[in-house]
Amino acid sequence: MIIDAIFDLVSYRLHDQAHIVLDQSRCLQCDHHACAHSCPARCYEWSAERGRVEFAYEGCVECGTCLAVCDRGALDWHYPVGGFGVRFPR
Amino acid sequence: MPEFDAIVVGAGPAGTTAAFAMARAGARALLLERGEWPGAKNMFGGMLVACETPERLLPGFWDDAPWERYVTRRVLTVVGPESSTSLKHESQRAGKEPYAGYTLYRPVFDRWYAERARDAGVTLLCDCMVEGLVVRDGQVRGVRVSGRADGVIEAPVVIAADGVVSLLAKEAGLHDGFKPGDLALGVRALFQLDEGELDRRLGLRGREGATYEFLGCTEGVRGGAFVYTQLDSLSVGVVVHLDALTERRIAPYDLLESFVGSAPVAPLLQGARLAEYSAHLLPEGGASMLPRRSAAGFLVAGDAGALCYTNGLTFEGMNLAMASGEMAAKAAVEAVGAGDVSAELLSAYDALLDDSFVMKDLKTWKRAGAFLKRDQMFALYPQLIEGLMESIYRSDGRPKQRIARLGLGVVRGRASWRQLLKDGIAAGRSYL
Repeated sequence: MIIDAIFDLVSYRLHDQAHIVLDQSRCLQCDHHACAHSCPARCYEWSAERGRVEFAYEGCVECGTCLAVCDRGALDWHYPVGGFGVRFPR
Repeated sequence: MPEFDAIVVGAGPAGTTAAFAMARAGARALLLERGEWPGAKNMFGGMLVACETPERLLPGFWDDAPWERYVTRRVLTVVGPESSTSLKHESQRAGKEPYAGYTLYRPVFDRWYAERARDAGVTLLCDCMVEGLVVRDGQVRGVRVSGRADGVIEAPVVIAADGVVSLLAKEAGLHDGFKPGDLALGVRALFQLDEGELDRRLGLRGREGATYEFLGCTEGVRGGAFVYTQLDSLSVGVVVHLDALTERRIAPYDLLESFVGSAPVAPLLQGARLAEYSAHLLPEGGASMLPRRSAAGFLVAGDAGALCYTNGLTFEGMNLAMASGEMAAKAAVEAVGAGDVSAELLSAYDALLDDSFVMKDLKTWKRAGAFLKRDQMFALYPQLIEGLMESIYRSDGRPKQRIARLGLGVVRGRASWRQLLKDGIAAGRSYL
């Protein structure tokens, strides 16, 4: 299984401030939670128990998928501050 | 007087080319990159077709550029539930210089290319995030930046080469955000393998390389998958239409997992070391995603301008990015020289694009893009091909039938003739 390993292979320089902010109140009206199953970095998780989407920015690969699939305007989406975020070393 | 004639945002193939071409024309270009170095944010491990643009800027470009392998073999494989059928094109011609295309690794390539642009006089500033545009009197005047530099930088023209999620093109009013129906999501893993072992496994010699495209291995989600050879690694990935992915509620990495373990791919990866994972969006709506790519004081190039397409057989973006960057530079230099960067004068860029292979190819394959929105291409047809190929090769003591009759048997109960006819006509209109 590669899934168990792939997310740990991504390298980041983390900024302490989130570059994407999720307005969870907007998720209440959302019936598809497309962010949760299309985010390739598993940053979003639908919690049925809490009735909301949980979000953690740290694993973000800055692809923009969530921004494209969220039709509730729940995302205040920015790239990280210059020099921060995901990086592909070599 | 501003310090620069143009600010170019994003040091990928489009932005670096734009800044490079401006420098060659004697103009002062500032190239801003939000990564720690050009390519730091990039995950591409695919193929770039040899194109003239960078050769014009830097003679001998392809001799010196850090590409991985030159591509001599292209394979298209249709994967069915229990078999796969391939069309392999192997070219001796492609094995001689000038090569037809190269696989490359963008974190290395982009950095090298941007350094050559810097040699030519471009001012490159990394760690520099462009937060937004400075707009006055309906004209873009500069950018607001954070990171290494903080504050406002002004110049007569801003060229946005900030990638598919171009927040700048959106801010400039060129579009209101790309929609899932116009985008594909690619996820990719990099597997490292000893160079000699990779050569033996794939039957390649020296720097020969191969690209493998797969259809029918995405659990019916519209899209495909690929394996590209780098020097000592394989890029393995899945690309799916974002609207299809969200409809099916399948996670992209689950598709990657099953592709990596699939019969045609697993043997290639035996013993290889998983080294990297990433994801990237691709613009696929092409010609229709933006009505124009210029505004007052503003141009958009590369993925940011949705200059990227696939027809299912070829996948082009980087070459279009470079070509559009060069054209953006030309339009910018002329406008700055004329002292008029109005929308009217800068629309010369749209005209250049329209007259070039960039927009012509996008338009030529517009219908093919729409054709690939048919779900049946990714599940039903791979199954039909599997059924037909298996009946052709079956020898079980029963009398054989000719191919049309075999096909009849395969199609029966799986698809209607009406549908086949409809798809056949659409395929003809898209490709012939």
